[in-house]
Amino acid sequence: MHDAHADQHAGPVVWAGIIATTCLLLMLIERMLWLAIPFIFGTILYYILLAPMRRLIRLGVDQDLAALAVGGGFFAVLSLAVGVAYAWTSSPDDSWPRILGHYMDGGVTFVRNTMSMLEAEFPVLQKMRLTSIVNKNFKSFTDNFGQRHLAGILVATAAWLPSLLLAPFLTFFFLRDGVHFKKFLVRAVPNAFFERTLYLMHEVDQTARRYFQGLIKLTIIDTVFLALGLWLIGASSPLMLALISAVLAWVPFVGSVIGCILVVIVASTDAPGNPFIAYGAIGVFVAVRLLDDFIFMPLTLGRSLQIHPLMAVLMIFVGGSLAGVAGLMLVLPLLGVVMVTGTTLGRLITNPRLRARHRNAMALKVRQASAGLAS
Amino acid sequence: MIFGFLKSPPLSPRLHRLKNSALFSSLTALELQIVDGLMHERRYLSDEIVFDQGEEGQALYLITSGRVAISRSNGQQFDVVAELGPGSVFGDLALLDDSPRNAQARAMENCQLAVFFRADFLSLMETDAVIGYKISLALARLIGQRLRDWMSGSPQNEAL
Repeated sequence: MHDAHADQHAGPVVWAGIIATTCLLLMLIERMLWLAIPFIFGTILYYILLAPMRRLIRLGVDQDLAALAVGGGFFAVLSLAVGVAYAWTSSPDDSWPRILGHYMDGGVTFVRNTMSMLEAEFPVLQKMRLTSIVNKNFKSFTDNFGQRHLAGILVATAAWLPSLLLAPFLTFFFLRDGVHFKKFLVRAVPNAFFERTLYLMHEVDQTARRYFQGLIKLTIIDTVFLALGLWLIGASSPLMLALISAVLAWVPFVGSVIGCILVVIVASTDAPGNPFIAYGAIGVFVAVRLLDDFIFMPLTLGRSLQIHPLMAVLMIFVGGSLAGVAGLMLVLPLLGVVMVTGTTLGRLITNPRLRARHRNAMALKVRQASAGLAS
Repeated sequence: MIFGFLKSPPLSPRLHRLKNSALFSSLTALELQIVDGLMHERRYLSDEIVFDQGEEGQALYLITSGRVAISRSNGQQFDVVAELGPGSVFGDLALLDDSPRNAQARAMENCQLAVFFRADFLSLMETDAVIGYKISLALARLIGQRLRDWMSGSPQNEAL
């Protein structure tokens, strides 16, 4: 009577189902991005705040009040940190558009200087009129930026802000009602499949938790190493730049490139006379990315999802093509959760003993319900 | 409830039932409330199987009402080794690891069971060492008692 099916690995049909479900969910996410993004932030905050909330409950605080206290406390600390950072970094004559323009100009000057230097070193580039081509493209982009992109960016920001405000609400309800919701779901499961379903829900929770906690650890490690490197080469605001770059790296490939560009723009603008700081920043960025890919990521995220590296890379491309930036960011945790669900459900459905027990329970129910009735 | 930590919550009938079981008898009212929050309630019909012999164990069961028969397969047929009533726990070794169940549990009459999932117990051990150690000690005592019973040749009154 040993449960031989428990050790079975998922077959090709289950795997095809896992990949198809992941793709379907990605397409759904792309259509419901307004809900997906606050849901992700809400989930990350939930895993961060769960442990302190449990400590409060252990002290005898009511569940509702504990959820409110940790959520409120977190946002109070966050608001305070943002307020202090703003007051510390801004001076009265600095406005955001002015700062943005200043750094954009600095970045453009850095690119032009680099192009000129390359042309001086490699005559073939001079023949190609590299600087002139780059200048023309820059001019075309900056001339049409307001017309083509600015309005779109402002409208998108205005549309996104209200949905981002959903994140704290979702976090509060995850914290307050998460356990009740889990029990509510499990109540619908037939007795025969009950233990396995509990195990499945636990594994899904663990997969998501490991991924998001790994992501937070990776962000902290990336921030520390990048800040250290930028501080060593003399870049300005190393901690702030490192933190922004580490958060941008949540989006595979694209985030890292944008983070690198940001660091180089700031470094070149703050030290216009010393282009080597900007080149050094690129070097630091590449070094940290290499450390990240080969040491930190396998130690944090790599352990959280047992996905084959080839499958992970292919699915990142699929995620990007199906759901853009959100797809790139979400495809791995989504695949991890669908993989656990798919393989466990596959085992549940194909287990003949569990199915037989369920049929037997149904027959017992019918027999009890029809007791005393004329046949 | 702001100063809820200053007073012990009163024991509901449900918590009383938990308190009366050997595994949770040393827990305080607040600790019982935390454990109760993790437990699932299930109803089984008379003659329905709770778990099979050889099945991977994931949870411990506490009988809150009704009776459960524990049987072991002896070749072709099952021998009943214990009949358990309200307050008894079975399947407790599943709290330690996921080794196969060494007996079958079947409801003898319509019964209600409280289920404690192993992963919840392990996570409780990490987040709340005091509750974890109290349950672990009770579990160790239960297993020790069972070993003494087995060595003295007396019948086991609780099943694994």
